[in-house]
Amino acid sequence: MKSAPTLSSAFLKPAGESLPQPLLALRKERGKALVDMPLPTRKTENWKYSSRHLKLSDELANSLPAGGATTDAAAGGYRIVIRNGVVDASTSVLPQVEGLSVQRFADLTDEDAAELARSLDSTLDTRATQMARLNSARFEDGLLIRLKPDTVVDQPLFVIHEVTATAAGSAFPRIYVDAGRHSGMTLVEEFLSSGDESAMVDAVTEFTLADGARITGVRLVAEGQNIQHIGATGVRQLRSSRFESHCVGFGGPLRRHDLRVRLEGEGAECKLNGVVVTQDKQHYDNHTCIDHMVPNCNSEETYRNIAADESHAVFNGRIHIHKDAQKSNANMNNKNLLLSTGAEIDTKPELEIYADDVKCAHGATIGQLDDTSLFYLVSRGIARREASVLLTMAFINELVAQIPVEQVRNSANERLNQFFDDAFREA
Amino acid sequence: MLSIKNLHASVEGKEILKGINLEIKAGEVHAIMGPNGSGKSTLSQVLAGNEAFEVTEGEVTLNGQNLLELETEDRALEGIFLAFQYPVEIPGVSNLQFLRTAVNAARQHQGQAEMNAAEFMKLAKEVSKQVDLDPAFLKRGVNEGFSGGEKKRNEIMQALLLQPKLAILDETDSGLDIDALKVVSDGVNALRAEDRAILMVTHYQRLLDYIVPDYVHVLAGGRIIKSGGRELALELEERGYGWLGIKDEEAAAN
Repeated sequence: MKSAPTLSSAFLKPAGESLPQPLLALRKERGKALVDMPLPTRKTENWKYSSRHLKLSDELANSLPAGGATTDAAAGGYRIVIRNGVVDASTSVLPQVEGLSVQRFADLTDEDAAELARSLDSTLDTRATQMARLNSARFEDGLLIRLKPDTVVDQPLFVIHEVTATAAGSAFPRIYVDAGRHSGMTLVEEFLSSGDESAMVDAVTEFTLADGARITGVRLVAEGQNIQHIGATGVRQLRSSRFESHCVGFGGPLRRHDLRVRLEGEGAECKLNGVVVTQDKQHYDNHTCIDHMVPNCNSEETYRNIAADESHAVFNGRIHIHKDAQKSNANMNNKNLLLSTGAEIDTKPELEIYADDVKCAHGATIGQLDDTSLFYLVSRGIARREASVLLTMAFINELVAQIPVEQVRNSANERLNQFFDDAFREA
Repeated sequence: MLSIKNLHASVEGKEILKGINLEIKAGEVHAIMGPNGSGKSTLSQVLAGNEAFEVTEGEVTLNGQNLLELETEDRALEGIFLAFQYPVEIPGVSNLQFLRTAVNAARQHQGQAEMNAAEFMKLAKEVSKQVDLDPAFLKRGVNEGFSGGEKKRNEIMQALLLQPKLAILDETDSGLDIDALKVVSDGVNALRAEDRAILMVTHYQRLLDYIVPDYVHVLAGGRIIKSGGRELALELEERGYGWLGIKDEEAAAN
């Protein structure tokens, strides 16, 4: 019998020794735990549809070197560039805001680094995010963002995650956000790339929200077709905090994002929006998990997938209502649009409810463009192609309009228009 | 303007239209009446180019041009307009965006400059007043959450904006109360012009009190079995379809 493939040891050799000692120690410890880690296969439930797209050749184990030019990103205001997983101080504008501290991991004191080392990974379910664990063994730098109580940042902080794939290799960007009581900010993460060599991004971002904090995370994934993207976002929310997530993703050879939110304090609420479009032979897999741990929390989740050509989109939405979480209110909605007969979408709502007094609604649909609507539009003289674009855009309009950062909305719309141009090109 | 000769059409293999002949000249208003299931709506849909219906025989020309060879959108650009019996709700596409896209497609086809957002907004507001539709409706999704009457007024508004050569009104009176019927009729009467023809499809005579047709045709079993003037409609109202030896399915069901 052929044994299951395991992670090549080449992937467990981190670069970048300039981190403070406690973080180097953490990395080493996490690396040890990954020795001989079985790689996900078709039989691994949470990687069922994506394992065959994961191509971990040994050359991807190389750390991509820092350096290279910055591509266009829709940034404004505070802007930090993380190139190949390392903060590029020369092109970054670190915000000078009272109560907000943004530090590179490399610049942390041993004391702060020790505290961070205790917190890293605390928001993730490491069993469910096995590939993201690699980040903890490999990160070379990172951003620690701390908000003092009552600090509300006036404009979004843009983090541009850029991969310069001039050689084969990987990047492991890492962000940890520690939001104090009643603090607030919007963090925009844009994932972009340049260069043509095959590369992988393994990005992990974590948020902890103290009582009453209000944090918005915006995520735009738009790397090139030579980039495998594996990302995990973990969120822990205390009493009466609110977390909003807006993800817009464009397909690639492999795009995988795990988003996990733990509602740990009463009155906490989260809103998770996601839009994914795929074409050609692209693949995109979103796994989300919301844990209602305590009573009186709200969650609202809306994801839309559009798959064209022979592409494949996956949505797995898990809601876990723990036994003490009475009066939980959870609403999950996932709609999917297939633009061609060769496209595939797999959706799976997973509800586990152990409390008896909860309101939990979920809906998932997969459909095609509606012929009646299409006829109505073309009967007014609108060209079939334009009518198809209008109807497809209508499917996601609402979610794009809700993105609270204008630059990201515009950038997303531009990329979506390009997608529609391609998806409805004349056959 | 419109010439229909021996038109046969079927849906899912079932023949609905079994040899329609009809000539409509510019400036005329024709009404097609008939019991449910007689093929009235099928005729409207076939003329507008709904691909769910297959034309198996016959010909249709618009000002000498073979209509059946044209794609749906090209028929619209050549001047065919169908006011739907059941206008479609399209959440996510704003009414304004929809109307402007349609008007600009027509303008482009006619070699006119496209209207910008401000110009179009002004025009749309004027026309919406004409059909007594609150301009706030322009910002909503196409027909989204509109009442039956609002949907029909939105259809007439589109006709007024697009200024078609031939307006086909499919059961435009259905589901309207008397006030809405008056508003819709005023809109349709505003469309009447020397160079435009109107084809109304209706089950009831009532609409014809407000939009007085030049000709009335009775459609039954997929054929026009009787044609006449306005008085034919009145006679139908008085005597029912039974008088012509046809069964009104709705009447039979009642």
